[in-house]
Amino acid sequence: MSSTQKRPSAQSLRRTNWVLGVITVGFLALAAALLASPWKASTQPKIPLVDPSFLEQTAWRKSYSDLVREKADLSDFQCYVCHEKKNPPPLRYDEQHVLIVPDEHSDIKMGHGTHNRNNLCYNCHNENDLLTFSIRDGNELKFEESSRLCGSCHGPNYRDWEAGVHGRMNGYWNHQLGDFKRLDCVNCHNPHAPKIPTRKPAPPPHPLRLPLLPEPQPKAATTS
Amino acid sequence: MGRRNFLRSSAAFAGLGALAASLSPLRELGDYSSVDEFMQKYYKEMTPDDMAKVITRIENDVQRQYGIRPHVRDLKPMDGAEFVYCLNLTRCIGCRKCVHACVNENNQSRNPEIQYIRVLKLPHGSMDIDKADHEYNPESVPEKGFFYMPVQCQQCHNPPCVKVCPVHATWQEKDGITVIDYDWCIGCRYCEAACPYWARRFNFTKPEIPKERLNPNMSYLGNRPRKQGVMEKCHFCIQRTRVGRYPACLEVCPVGARKFGNILDPDSEVSYILREKRIFIQLKEEMGTNPRFFYYFEK
Repeated sequence: MSSTQKRPSAQSLRRTNWVLGVITVGFLALAAALLASPWKASTQPKIPLVDPSFLEQTAWRKSYSDLVREKADLSDFQCYVCHEKKNPPPLRYDEQHVLIVPDEHSDIKMGHGTHNRNNLCYNCHNENDLLTFSIRDGNELKFEESSRLCGSCHGPNYRDWEAGVHGRMNGYWNHQLGDFKRLDCVNCHNPHAPKIPTRKPAPPPHPLRLPLLPEPQPKAATTS
Repeated sequence: MGRRNFLRSSAAFAGLGALAASLSPLRELGDYSSVDEFMQKYYKEMTPDDMAKVITRIENDVQRQYGIRPHVRDLKPMDGAEFVYCLNLTRCIGCRKCVHACVNENNQSRNPEIQYIRVLKLPHGSMDIDKADHEYNPESVPEKGFFYMPVQCQQCHNPPCVKVCPVHATWQEKDGITVIDYDWCIGCRYCEAACPYWARRFNFTKPEIPKERLNPNMSYLGNRPRKQGVMEKCHFCIQRTRVGRYPACLEVCPVGARKFGNILDPDSEVSYILREKRIFIQLKEEMGTNPRFFYYFEK
């Protein structure tokens, strides 16, 4: 021990030990925190997976051709189980000239066109043979050909549909590489009430917020 | 052992422990980075042999991570095809099915959510994006007095995102698709800032994809799983469209508002629309980006 170096006092030794102790505890706490990473879990809340029904590509209605293809029950289309041949069912109207849909057909809600103008069943159904349609030029069409029936009135939309522009296409854009499938009118439109009904939208995006705030409430003013 | 030595050694031990703990995030590095990947060449300079090796590496990585052997391809643009997208604003009902079909097809992160399509709700009679709301969630859509405008990558002829990339990790291919090489991207996010359509998304964290929702049909420039710190965006479903199929967002649209095809083919749906339909909007056309994405209204 040289004479110039002073031996530290007991007080400064205590202080050194105290500082070292605090640093040790601090380091240990830091190590524990980093290994456990308690905030990792809290900042990454689970976002529920979207309902698979929103991923489905199937059309929401089935056409007659679809039912035939699936060999489904076609008893709804056997009109002459109830109706008589060569005796077309009469149509009844109320005072406002609104068609009265009989109880046997209560699943049909009439809503084709505005102002109740298109309320004659035989505009489309064939009076003389209920198993076919009657097109506007007087010819008969099978149930499978319903899209042509629609086209006899809705010309521009039919033209677009034939070009693949009205309604959805599935399959291949490049027809040399694969097949494409065009939906029929009745796959999307109910012929008795063709306006497409409203539906529940898929969930909105969950914004990247840390921590995640509660879901934004829909603005009352914009939804009315 | 004296008290001093005990304190010294315990402090040293704790210090080493803390050092090891602070380096622990490096353990996760092994999940998405390897020497092969680090030494990988630039996409345009790779030979077919190089690409075959890269594809095997990606397939192995995906299998290790998700337990599913994917089918990864490097699909090149078709000759005589340039893609255009048309979207009918009269038909769109804002149901967001396209958003989720896209997420499912393209293996985007579910947590946090990354979505390429953002559906804007706008009041009738306005195209003012400032009035748009993309977080709408009513009981049913469409709502009266509003129309819906889905916005995704517009695949511009003159893409600002490509111009700003400092490492050429994103470029426009000859079929019009602007692609990203996720292995070349440095994550600077310049392209995100440059894009006027908010079409580019950044992986702030490691993407989370549930195994049961992983799409094993993958392509190198398309929907292979991304890693943390890279950009991604809509690529017109390269893994589908470059083999002739329609994109996923189109195939799920319940009203047929989305139309996709080859503009060089006069018989395609998009050629028909651009010829026959009346009103077109290229979003923010004053930017001079000249999108390949057209919005139109029915007569």
